[in-house]
Amino acid sequence: MTVDYVDAGWAVDQGSLSGKVAGGDVAPPVVAGVDYERILHAREEPQNWLTYYGAYNGQRYSPLDQINTESVKRMVPAWVFQAGTTGLIAGASTYSFEAAPIVVDGVMFLSGWDGWVWALNAKTGVEIWRYKHAVPFDVSLCCGNVNRGVAVAQGKVFFVTANARVLALDATTGKRVWDRTYGDVRAGESATVAPLVVKNMVIVGSSGGEFGVRGHLDAFDLETGEHQWRCYTVPKPGEPGAETWPADGEAWARGGANCWLTGTFDPETNLLYVGTGNPAPDFDGAVREGDNLFTDSIIAVDVDSGQIRWHYQCTPHDLWDYDSIAECILFEEDGRKLLGHFDKNGYFFVLDRTNGEMVRITPFVDRITWGAITREGQVTAKVYPDKEGEPVHFYPGPAGAKEWTHAAYSPKTGLFYVPVQDTGATATRRRREFKESIPYWGAGVQVDIEDMAGSISAFDATGEEKWRWRNELPMCASVLATGGDLVFAGEPSGEFNAYDARTGEVLWQFQCGSGHHSSPTTYMVDGRQYIAVPVGWGGWAEGFLPGMLGAGHGSALLVFALPEPV
Amino acid sequence: MTTAQERSDLLDQIGLNTQNKAALGQVLGTGTIGRATEESDGRMKATIRIHPDELTWDPEILVMPHGGDIELELINDDLNTHCALLPSNGDRKFIWLVNHSRGRANLNLDGPGYYWFGSPTGNDEGRGLTGAIVVLGDAPPEARLDRPEQPRP
Repeated sequence: MTVDYVDAGWAVDQGSLSGKVAGGDVAPPVVAGVDYERILHAREEPQNWLTYYGAYNGQRYSPLDQINTESVKRMVPAWVFQAGTTGLIAGASTYSFEAAPIVVDGVMFLSGWDGWVWALNAKTGVEIWRYKHAVPFDVSLCCGNVNRGVAVAQGKVFFVTANARVLALDATTGKRVWDRTYGDVRAGESATVAPLVVKNMVIVGSSGGEFGVRGHLDAFDLETGEHQWRCYTVPKPGEPGAETWPADGEAWARGGANCWLTGTFDPETNLLYVGTGNPAPDFDGAVREGDNLFTDSIIAVDVDSGQIRWHYQCTPHDLWDYDSIAECILFEEDGRKLLGHFDKNGYFFVLDRTNGEMVRITPFVDRITWGAITREGQVTAKVYPDKEGEPVHFYPGPAGAKEWTHAAYSPKTGLFYVPVQDTGATATRRRREFKESIPYWGAGVQVDIEDMAGSISAFDATGEEKWRWRNELPMCASVLATGGDLVFAGEPSGEFNAYDARTGEVLWQFQCGSGHHSSPTTYMVDGRQYIAVPVGWGGWAEGFLPGMLGAGHGSALLVFALPEPV
Repeated sequence: MTTAQERSDLLDQIGLNTQNKAALGQVLGTGTIGRATEESDGRMKATIRIHPDELTWDPEILVMPHGGDIELELINDDLNTHCALLPSNGDRKFIWLVNHSRGRANLNLDGPGYYWFGSPTGNDEGRGLTGAIVVLGDAPPEARLDRPEQPRP
């Protein structure tokens, strides 16, 4: 006798089984009114954190001062959001919580690893909606299953996925509005960047520099997703800069220079300031003779056309994996429009952002052995992988004296606050044939697990160090500066610290239970200031701190505030 | 050392592809393979079953010819309750599959690449109820790099 099957019905969204109350899954339309003008003046609404760096200038500074050098000692956890993981995901052992939380009028928009985006009540931490993009398990990821954040504007939340897509979600419901592919996963491309909204465009860069791709920026229309422009960061033969690549062969086609971090923007110059990544193969320069433009460069890109207007190369013909992807912090000095950039190669570059002219260069880490850069900008390589099979040790290691994690600048103190990594590495050149989608390093690399150090270091614009808070471990998380004369930074061992911005004294500390590798932000709701920090160790730990490869991952967002009045 | 031909023999001989013989469960990736069918409108369909006492999906590896929408029929012929957590853009899809039940799921997947799915109850996933959906295809032409064809492995 046949028995009819029990009708199991249709599979439901997993998020519908997360304790939401009816109607609780729709966010108020706070993003509807966020447009270019508001982002342009983002720091005039300090209760919000409207864009990746808090403002187009990349300063990661908030004027909020309720939490200050006096009150910070009373700061306590306000709420915690935990996502965890379920099932088998790409980079199951390397996921990391790297985002910078965006906050608009009491609603937080946050990305996680593996295609997660959440809208949270910024006062209570309660999840409003979630979006989960399905990320292929086998996608190429050089440095872990990570995402650095979302952008918001015109009622939408924008983010990229590890399989090289850029999406627009409805900011009230989390439902997909448009979705575009801007990279080729079969070529080893991926995406990790937090998008930047400028004018009517959302701008994203590609990842995949360790797989021999050709880096690019792309701009899409906010409303329709229509592609606006693509800017390649390695020129084709015949284009400006092509003379810095071998004339024969296809080294340029695999040249790297990926823009995997968010740029900054000056509306007066109409230029985006973007750092580009390493050349490929990372450590085998003999197959790509020349300076290899525009790798390891700061490029100024006309935001309307996507054309490179000027460039400054920090490490010509890189042989150490010294991406120049780090942020370009915009500031003024004696009426001059400048940018500050702390490079992986250990030097602090100050440039005139109107024309790319070098203003000054100073070292910001104790040990630099790969080579030297004079104050005039003359670069001399000293130690590098050259002979096949011969190990070479150098400082800084390939994660750099400062990795992607961001410095901050306080216009109040006039100081830059920098997370410093003082770690060396050994690379042994091992030439290999290029094959699409296969890692293309040209060396075996091992980063030191002993004799390392780190710091939060404060510099003025001349590069003079004003204070240094020393740590036994490298500092691998972004810094936040506030109008309360505080600097916030997390440690790899889990401590989240508040420093006196003028002295470097630690005024407050909280053990978050996992290492920090993210970008804390601050905001205010109903008159209460909050500090939000994603905590979840992982990513390319074998590159920036292999001595902590065995540490627990974690996947929590911790939010702190002063106690509520009783 | 083995050859490709020897693999299927060894799976049976050692008992890697069955419950409680070589290992405790069925080793991942040792199950059956199936293809989704495609309708004239490009929509894809497939049926995935759980047979009695096998604690694995049939097929364990489902191949979609390209990215897009697929409708799955999920049949639990087992004498125990299982469930399915499936990848899909927007949110993962979840369904309980009590003994002798039949359910459905609509999924949207990009590809190319492959995605795991499983039965997240007890350790169904470890015993063998972990499967893969493979999506064939390429990135669209407008997204690809402007460069000559490159060698692949």
